Amino acid sequence: MTAPSSPTAIGSPFSSAPSPRCETGASPLTAASAPRPVSLPGPSWLAAQGRLPLAFMILALGWLAAATAMTALAPATLALPHAAPAAVMLAHAWVLGVFVTVAVGAIYQIAPVALSTTMWSERCGWAHLWLHTIAVPGMIVSFARWDMALLGHFGALFALGVGLFGLNTWKTVRRCGARDVVALSLVLSAAWLCLTVVLGLAFAANRFWHFIPLDPLALLRAHAHVGLIGFFVTLLQGVTFRLVPMFTLAEVRDWRPVRVGLGLSQFGLLGLAPALAWNRGYVAMVCASLVLAGLVTSGWALFDTLSTRRKRHLDPGIRAFLAGGIVMIVAAAAGLLLIFPATPWDSVSRGFNGMVYAVLVLLGGLFPLIAGMLCKVVPFLTWMRAYGPKVGRVPTPAAGALTHPRLETWAFRTHAAAIAVLIVGVATQNLTLLRVGAWTLALGVVLILADMAGVLKHLRPAPTQTK
Amino acid sequence: MTPSASYETTDAIWRALASILDPEFGISIVDLGLIYSVERSGPDVRVIMTLTTPTCPSGAWICDGARAAVQQLPGVENVRLGLVFEPQWTPQMLSARAQHELGCGAEHGR
Repeated sequence: MTAPSSPTAIGSPFSSAPSPRCETGASPLTAASAPRPVSLPGPSWLAAQGRLPLAFMILALGWLAAATAMTALAPATLALPHAAPAAVMLAHAWVLGVFVTVAVGAIYQIAPVALSTTMWSERCGWAHLWLHTIAVPGMIVSFARWDMALLGHFGALFALGVGLFGLNTWKTVRRCGARDVVALSLVLSAAWLCLTVVLGLAFAANRFWHFIPLDPLALLRAHAHVGLIGFFVTLLQGVTFRLVPMFTLAEVRDWRPVRVGLGLSQFGLLGLAPALAWNRGYVAMVCASLVLAGLVTSGWALFDTLSTRRKRHLDPGIRAFLAGGIVMIVAAAAGLLLIFPATPWDSVSRGFNGMVYAVLVLLGGLFPLIAGMLCKVVPFLTWMRAYGPKVGRVPTPAAGALTHPRLETWAFRTHAAAIAVLIVGVATQNLTLLRVGAWTLALGVVLILADMAGVLKHLRPAPTQTK
Repeated sequence: MTPSASYETTDAIWRALASILDPEFGISIVDLGLIYSVERSGPDVRVIMTLTTPTCPSGAWICDGARAAVQQLPGVENVRLGLVFEPQWTPQMLSARAQHELGCGAEHGR
């Protein structure tokens, strides 16, 4: 092939229609006019960064199987009061084992790309993974035996891991200098997670030393909401507006409602947590209303963002994520009813309706949010490891081609049916419905696990991996 | 060296770049409008490209792959790849084919 004697620039001959670049048949960027190129971290860095979040995701898949098995094998647990040891154990298996593991793994992946930097310390991240891997099963066993001393030991290990995670997130954000709402949500969610763990440990210690003169049930509710709203909702109210535009080619037209949504939730939670702990019904109601307003505002901002999307067809994972967000808003409204003073649904007097709320929040709202994230993140991380180094050298598939969208669609449909049955089963204390709901839930999870196994299969080193 | 030979050479570079799919959308990076220009001077090739977002998590792989795809072409010795974010990528840079694949073409009312 003979080279031309002078620089040549032409538009792409392969685009079906002219883009601004192609209209004149020449690039708008000549050597003289082109801005100074920027540099991205190298591929080796990306490969290294991808390992840690992928390890968290694989751990989360194991916990997803375990928590589902615990639910399916003992569905009557859902008919117990929400403070019953078995219910507390099951809730922690889902929350710490599945939801926190996925969310933390996602943060280790998202934070560097959202902030255009590297994590402050990858070693801290791996230490966190090991502490998390050891501590969570220990905590679940402690809950099963209702051994608060053992819980304190494993809880301390968990707290140490979360502390490293919080430090890592804070240092990463501080180092990159980002001050936008996404960076803020990352730091705030990490801080709330640390506080949740400290509160949990304090409540366990209070069983021995009684240094907190408050109703343990009220403290449990405060602890749960600090974790739920402080960590999960705060995180989602920020990073959603970086990820969803990325996945759907959309743009956030106005960041003000995103900031307002986050702010309302934060102020709401700052009042809600102490109001729940001290059983101040009206104050809790006002603060929960602020949280609900924050969720609605963020939901509206997301709806507005999605209206600008170029990718019209949404993946099953994104659809599940959005459905989970809607259920969370419904669940927040249900929570408002529960804390309404002297309400017939008051969870303080009845004790059981809190479980309807818990199932709605955790399995109805948080599950599809987290599983939707899982269905997007795992294929992408797998693609990064299996195919990223091959880009440009051999044909590589898209990350979405590693999944089975139909399987995911049926998984989330099955899950929605399961939740409907479980909610009715919990509300009516009907064990047959609880069994049917729990096994339907298990079927949905099996479909998700089968899909994820098919994705992870691509990590096996094989010469015929390319499609 | 003839003009047609020059065109074929640059054409091959575009073709090589078009073989790279964006991992999220499964669409060629050329159809996505990520390649701003290709310049060739003898064995030296200069590609100026962008990403859909500066925080694109697969950005480094795409850039590295673009460089590798061009580098393996016959007659190419040096590839200089410039990653720029001005002008910023916008969905208007999608080709008609990409718009159709994403479901946002004229026939979809957008």
